[in-house]
Amino acid sequence: MASVAPSPRFAGSLVLAARQFPRHRAATIGLVCLLLIVLATLLAPLIAPYDPIQIKLSMKLKPPSLEHFLGTDHFGRDVFSRLLYGGRTSLTVGLLVVAFAFLFGVPLGLASGYFGGRIDNVMMRLVDAFLTFPPLLLAVAVVGLLGPELQYVTLALGIVQAPVLARMVRGSTLAVREDVYVTAARALGAGPLRIVLSHLLRNVMSPIVVQLTIVFSAAVIAEASLSFLGFGTQPPEPSWGRDMSEARRFLNDAPWMFLAPTVTIMLCVLSINFLGDGLRDAMDPRAWRTRGTIDPEEA
Amino acid sequence: MWRYLGGRLIQVPVVLLVVSLMTFVITRATPGDPIQIMLGMQTSPEAAAAMRAEFNLDRPLAVQYGLWVGKVVTGDLGRSMRLNDPVTALLAERLPVSLQLALAAMLLALLVSIPLGIAAALWRNTWIDYLCTGYTVMGFAVPNFGLALILIYVFSIKLDWLPITGIGSSEAAAGGWWTYIRPFIVPAIALGTLQTAILTRLLRSSMIEVLSQDYMRTARAKGLLPGTIVFLHALKNAMIPFVTMVAVQFGYMIGVQVTIEYIFAVPGMGSAVLNAVVNRDFPVIQGFTLVIAAFFLFANIVADMLYALLDPRIRY
Repeated sequence: MASVAPSPRFAGSLVLAARQFPRHRAATIGLVCLLLIVLATLLAPLIAPYDPIQIKLSMKLKPPSLEHFLGTDHFGRDVFSRLLYGGRTSLTVGLLVVAFAFLFGVPLGLASGYFGGRIDNVMMRLVDAFLTFPPLLLAVAVVGLLGPELQYVTLALGIVQAPVLARMVRGSTLAVREDVYVTAARALGAGPLRIVLSHLLRNVMSPIVVQLTIVFSAAVIAEASLSFLGFGTQPPEPSWGRDMSEARRFLNDAPWMFLAPTVTIMLCVLSINFLGDGLRDAMDPRAWRTRGTIDPEEA
Repeated sequence: MWRYLGGRLIQVPVVLLVVSLMTFVITRATPGDPIQIMLGMQTSPEAAAAMRAEFNLDRPLAVQYGLWVGKVVTGDLGRSMRLNDPVTALLAERLPVSLQLALAAMLLALLVSIPLGIAAALWRNTWIDYLCTGYTVMGFAVPNFGLALILIYVFSIKLDWLPITGIGSSEAAAGGWWTYIRPFIVPAIALGTLQTAILTRLLRSSMIEVLSQDYMRTARAKGLLPGTIVFLHALKNAMIPFVTMVAVQFGYMIGVQVTIEYIFAVPGMGSAVLNAVVNRDFPVIQGFTLVIAAFFLFANIVADMLYALLDPRIRY
């Protein structure tokens, strides 16, 4: 994929998209919010006021206060500190699943769409089979049988997302495969690899990026669901989903325990979804509000 | 269309075969011996060996799979290693519960999304449209188990209006229809909110598209009543993608219920698979995933068929 990134024309389209992006207010807010969440989890050791794991029973189930501004849990641990550390797993898994889906889904989709025929048929039947699996149950089976380690969680969530991406990339590839510039490239003697990498991939890149934001938010929710069911992160490690599961027993006494992770997950997913909407509009020249945005002089 | 249906139906066994093969590989390629887990550490090697032979676990993997497929074709999904019941009997117990919950969730989704979607399309950019957008955006972002906890906190703990558990319990079955339905309400809302969001958004956008068509202007010009225009002309056409989506989403619901079943102690399909995974109960995992996958496949075929039935322009 090296032939894609540094080309000046591609960079140019990125600049145009970047210039377009801030016009989407919700997306900008989403981006800022997401960056804040990422930064907060990265800097957790600096920001977190307390140790997320150390038990202090004298402080258990304390409501939000100045010392513990999101309250404490049933072991007297600071909910806010646990949120910060728990976010590390969720966001890492999200990122890994995105990488997994990209690495497997995109080449499969490109190959299927470009070559067509029997390759396409076999691959799409496989994709069908994967999509028939209930995603969360498949993840439960994989993690439940292999173990709750990060690589298995990524695998469990990635194998459901990669086929979705593959099918989408295939569709977009089919659409651009017949475009004139592809025929032109072929006439000039470009091989299949060159056509796929430098002509097709670049032109299906924007739906891929948008789909990847969807993959990311789906992965964050799925990781939380897995941990909630007891199949992901294991206690005492902090985790959004796992902590919500623990909080079930204290719904009445300590509602902050389940509210804090729930709201955090929602904020996270909302930010990513808005970001995805903004990216879709920014990368699609047809959606640009043309007045004043791409003045010939300016561009 | 019948030929198309035939073609689709022929593909079903192929896809199911791939699904079952994948489940088989996942279960067998992973660590954890079901016999060991079930019998504990102190069993005699003979007892373990006998049990292994009973479930064919001592045979080569290809033979195990072949034997299993051979029985499935005759409608026999094997026996649960843990409960010693036939998987089909377990299925007969669990499937109706899951179907009822899915049905309840879908019903709620329809009750909310149809009026909300229509209203948002008719009064675009008014408060009702913003309410609809806000609702769908939130519906996409909230994890269903988080929503479930919020609903339990508000409706079951603080207001004490609705029970948390009781689906499939004997008390619920013995009481009247209200005692039977009551425990479904909170789980159904939690389960159906995502579908409500999907359906509302879809109906809104397809309504808007239909309302902007030329024949809508003609209908108005003919002097038809606004109600006739909206409900007879616009809704009928806007409903086509909607109905298909309902079928697709319904197929999904059985598979996504796990977290809801877990919270509300619902004896459904999802919790059965969950337990089976923990206990390495291979026949149950294989049988249940197969049925869930088949259900999903058929829901999709029904969706495609509905599409062709409702829209005369579509011919397969």
